Formats: sequence, C-alpha cells, structure tokens
Amino acid sequence: MRVNAGNLKKGEFVKFQGEICQVQKADFYSPGKGSALMKARLKSLISAKNVEYAYKSNEQVEVLDVASVDMQYIYKDQENLYFMDERTFNQVSLLISVVGDISRFFKEGEKMFVYMYDDKPLTIRPPMSVRLKIVEADDAAKGDTVSGAKKPVRVETGATVMVPIFVKVGETISINPETGEYTGRV
Amino acid sequence: MKIQTTVENLDNYKIYLQVEKAVHEFMEKHNYLKVDLPVLSPFLIPESYLEIFETEFNYFNKKEKLYLTPSPELFLKRLLVGGIGNCYYLGRAYRNCEPNSDWHSPEFTMLEFYKVGINYLEMAEEVLKMLQFVNKKCRGNDTMLFDRWEKYSVSEAFEKFSGIKKEKLFNEKLFFKKAKDKGYNVNKTTYEDIFSQILATEIEPKLGVNGYPTLLYDYPKQMASLAKLNDDGLTAQRCEFYINGLEVGGFCTELNDYKEQQKRFISEAKKRKKNKIINHSIDKGFIEALKYGLPNCTGAGIGFERLVMIFANTTSINQLKLINIV
Repeated sequence: MRVNAGNLKKGEFVKFQGEICQVQKADFYSPGKGSALMKARLKSLISAKNVEYAYKSNEQVEVLDVASVDMQYIYKDQENLYFMDERTFNQVSLLISVVGDISRFFKEGEKMFVYMYDDKPLTIRPPMSVRLKIVEADDAAKGDTVSGAKKPVRVETGATVMVPIFVKVGETISINPETGEYTGRV
Repeated sequence: MKIQTTVENLDNYKIYLQVEKAVHEFMEKHNYLKVDLPVLSPFLIPESYLEIFETEFNYFNKKEKLYLTPSPELFLKRLLVGGIGNCYYLGRAYRNCEPNSDWHSPEFTMLEFYKVGINYLEMAEEVLKMLQFVNKKCRGNDTMLFDRWEKYSVSEAFEKFSGIKKEKLFNEKLFFKKAKDKGYNVNKTTYEDIFSQILATEIEPKLGVNGYPTLLYDYPKQMASLAKLNDDGLTAQRCEFYINGLEVGGFCTELNDYKEQQKRFISEAKKRKKNKIINHSIDKGFIEALKYGLPNCTGAGIGFERLVMIFANTTSINQLKLINIV
C-alpha cells in the first residue's frame, strides 16, 4: 500500500535502501523554508540498527502488508528467539537484537504474534502487558514508608523490574514490556 | 482532534511561566518595547510553504476574509517603519497543515524581536545573552552551557556532516546529482526541498549536542526569505540555532530594499498558487510601509515552546501544556 510519508505511523513496515525496516518513530517536522518533512527513525530488521531519515511529507512510501501470526515462544539461545506455529508446527527464529529489550519479559510457552512477510518472520508484535511471577526481592527496609518508594525485584524470566515496596516474592505482577514499567499486581 | 487535559504537566508548565517571565525581564532590561498585536489580519505576507488558517468576518451581507497570522512580522515591521525602535512580541501564531507532533502544534507561541542598527551576527550575541539570562533565572539546563556558540556556516556544516563540498552545495545541478547518489528521491522536487531533507537527515541531529548551542549561518540565497544577501552573491544573512538537534529559532538581517521585497513577494505568491495552498490577500501596505524606509535592523523568531523544552528538559512541546488539542 502506498501512502504519503506524512501519514507514516510507528510500528509500520517499509523498505528503505533495500532493507525491510520498522518505523520506530515518525514525527512531522516543518523547516523554515521548503516543504514539510516526516522525520522517521527506522529499525532495520536485518542489522537491527536504527537509521534516521527525513522524508518529504508528500513523498510516496510503500508500506508493507504484513501478516501477524499467532505463535508460541519456545526458547532462546545466545542470539535468537524461537517460535512455533501450533497449527503447522513450523518453527521460526528472530534475532534478539531485532526484537529488542522487550524479549527479557518473554516466558517460554507464552503465545505471541509474529509479523510475517513473504513467509519470512520480521519481528514480534509487542504484547500490551505481560504477567510474571516475582522470584527474588529484598524486604523493604523498616520505616521506609515514603509514598512512591520503589525497589528492584527479579521476575521469573530473569529480568529486573522496579516495583512499589509493598510487593513481595511469589506475587504475580503485570508489566508493560515496552517500557519495562510495573503496572500492577494480579 | 480532541481536548486533552494534562494536569500532570503542572511542574513543566510552571517552568514555562518562569521562562516567560525571564524573557519579559530580559527584554525590558535591554530596552525592547513589548507590543501586543492582533492575530486576525485581512492580509498576509506570502510565504510559499506556509499554509494558513482562513476565516470570515460576517456582518449582514458584508463578508470579509480574515487570516490567523503565522507570524507577527507584518505588524512589527510596520511599527519599525513608524519609528518605535527595538520591539518584541510574545504571543500566539498559527500554521495550518502542521499536525501536532513533539515539535509542532498548529497553534503555538512565538517570540519575535527586532533590534535596530545591528546585523545578524551581532544578533547572535544578543540571543546568546538572552539564553544565558533565562538559564540563570530558571531551574537551568544541566547539560548545556550558554557561554558561547558552536558555529558553522551552512557550507561548512554540509561539508563536515554530509560530505557535500561548497561547489556542489551552491550549484543546483551538481547538488541534485549528489543528492540522487546519496539515495534521495529528486523527482519533481526543488532545491529548497532537497536542501531541507539533507539538513534534517544528516546534519541537524549533530547540532547542539556538544554542550553548546549551535549556530548555522549564511544560508543559500534560495532560502533567503526576507534576509539581505551577502556580497558573495550566493548566501543570505540568515542564521538558525539548534539545541539537542532541534531548531529553536532563527534570525536575519532584514531586507529593506522595497523593490527587491516586492520581487520576492511576487515570486512567493506564484509558488503558493503552484503549490495549491490558500491564495490569501497580499499585504500591499507592507510594501508601501517599506517605501518609507525600514531602518537597518535584525529580526529574530524563536519557537517559544521549543525554547522552554530546553529548560524543562522535556522531549515534546505537549509536555509543557495543561490543555493540548491533539
């Protein structure tokens, strides 16, 4: 689908200099002279590198029609995350560097959506929230009753999250995986 | 669009007020007259790339087109001709077709000021003094020093950050070829567009990021706007300044040759027609005023919200407001 670059949105996929990229950020920008621009941050899904590019806002850009396929996250090794399509038992892998920091909140066996294009996996669609159990936490220091005080805890995937001091080991919490922020107890 | 109430921005909004107060104080101390101005005008200065808001005044059968001003320039220059001397406006300005983003809002606050008898490079020192003053009066910016500019001419910046030599920058044909080799789409486009695209992609992210604000000066004459040209015949006496990769404001030695001004008006109005944007009434009274003589002066325009962003350490202008229309 061709769109004006001025309508590009975060999360969409485009081809840039021959590589498939995902739009990380797209902001309208108007210089003092000359037509308006769309300043985009594009992440290459091959090299995982970010590149900044200013499109002319009326420039036509091809936005790729990608499919999002329900898969199960099965495991990871040093470089890759592995997913399985439960209907076909087809396995795909994604570079950890491409998926980014949010992969530290992935629990084996969880269902997730993988974006596919031309039968190739691109990256995952980040879940809105993940639920994880706390496996390690210090008890809050006595007398520390300042409202809003936080402490670090370790969750079952090994990631560290800042939580309010009243949250304890064994409890399950919800986290926004994109920001890494605690959003509540469940 | 919707109305967004964001009381959680109260702390940032208080910094906005502090910066506003500091700017008024600086202007008063340096003998600039504060001027309140209308934002509705029956005429505007034609600028080829600015879309505007158009409305209509109605009284019985009498209808008249009015426009929200995209800048207070047409009023302030009339007053300069009238002899009021150094003056400034801090208030609303409106630009259509500029969607809300981290750096833009169709309704925004503009600080525009004019100083008589100085040129653009002398104005750079004045602006630096103002930044220092505001920095002292407000909470301050931890990472930015305002004791000097990091300075590049536009041609130095193009050579340093995008590898485009002076000979190519000032030759449209060679410039287009170089841009094409770099992968830019040069079909059905203008020199100004490609210039802005390379500036925004390759150069701006490197400006104002070394602990000092960066001053870019001497723009190609195609981007002269209402600035005087330099004797080299290639560049205009225009500057822009950047902090954290973001253009915060600009200034130029003001053109006061009314014939040249008239020529640029006609050319800009033609481009407006070609770009199919609102064909507003042209401010002929502005040219009339210039005939009586605009004093030698330099005018500066600063996006006020962008200025406050530096002192409030925010990444978006929306984080400064209690009410946003988004």
